[in-house]
Amino acid sequence: MRFEDIEIGDELPAEQPDVRVERVREFAKTAGMLTGRFVDHQKAREQGLPGAILPGIMSQALLAAVIHRWAPGCAIQQIDTVFRAPILVDSHPTTRGVVTSTDAGAQTVDVDLTIENEAGETRVIGTAVVRLD
Amino acid sequence: MDVEAIKKNWLNREFDVAEFPITQERILAYVHACGETDPRFSDPEHPEFQAPPTFTAQYVGRRILPRDFPMLGFRGFDAGKTVVLHGPARPGDTLFAHSKIADAYEKTGRSGRMVFLVHRMEFVNQKDERVSTVDWRMVRQPDQEPEKREK
Repeated sequence: MRFEDIEIGDELPAEQPDVRVERVREFAKTAGMLTGRFVDHQKAREQGLPGAILPGIMSQALLAAVIHRWAPGCAIQQIDTVFRAPILVDSHPTTRGVVTSTDAGAQTVDVDLTIENEAGETRVIGTAVVRLD
Repeated sequence: MDVEAIKKNWLNREFDVAEFPITQERILAYVHACGETDPRFSDPEHPEFQAPPTFTAQYVGRRILPRDFPMLGFRGFDAGKTVVLHGPARPGDTLFAHSKIADAYEKTGRSGRMVFLVHRMEFVNQKDERVSTVDWRMVRQPDQEPEKREK
C-alpha cells in the first residue's frame, strides 16, 4: 500500500488477535512478566481481578502488528496506547483502526486504534503515526 | 506530597541507566507471541531484519522510581505507553536506557485522586544513536494509603 492509496476515513481490517493463555504466557515469558495476574486465572482472581489479564504492552504490540498487515512495509513512527480497562486472557477481543488524518509532505497518516471486548466495550484506545512511501 | 512538589524536586533527573543486549532469539520470541507477521521483524534472513517498533516498551530499568521518591499510595496501575521510534534495534546491538520522570499530573476519578507519573526511558545503542523513547504512564492513588483507609 502506498500513501496515495489512503484516504481519511479508511478503516483497517478488524482482527481477532490470539489472546489464549498459551500465547499470553509466551509473551509474558519473553517480556519478563511471568506473574499470576497475566497467566493464571485463579491467581488473578485472588488479586481481585475477574481473571488473568493481558499485559498492556501486549495490547500495544498486537495493534502494531495489525498496522503492519494493513500497510506492509510501512514505518510506525509513533504509537500511543491508553489501557482504559483490562482485556481478559482467553477472551475474544477485536482490534479496529481508522485513518483520521494524512500529511502529504511527511508521507504520514494518523490512525486511531481500539481493542474491544466481546460486549463491544472499548478496553484499549490508541493512536499511531505511520509513514508510507 | 503534591504534584507541584514532585515537579519541582524530581522531574527530568536521570536516575537509572540500564543495559539490554538485543538477540535474534528474543526478537523472534516477542514477534511470535504478539502475532507479528511482517518479515522485517519475523524473518532473520530479511535484509532489514530488526526488532518490531514496540519491542523496547517491554523493558524495565533497574529502578522504576528514583531512590527516596515519595510513596504515593499502595494502589496503582499501568495507564498506558507511548513509543516514539528514532532508529532500528538489531540483533547484536546493546541498548542503554536512560530513565527519568518526565511529567507528573493529577486527575480525579470515581475512585478518588490519581497521580500520573510519566516514566521516560530514552534508548540509545552502542554507537550512541537514538533508538526509541518510551513513556510509561504510571498511576498512583494517594487516597488509598493505609492511614486513610483505616479512618
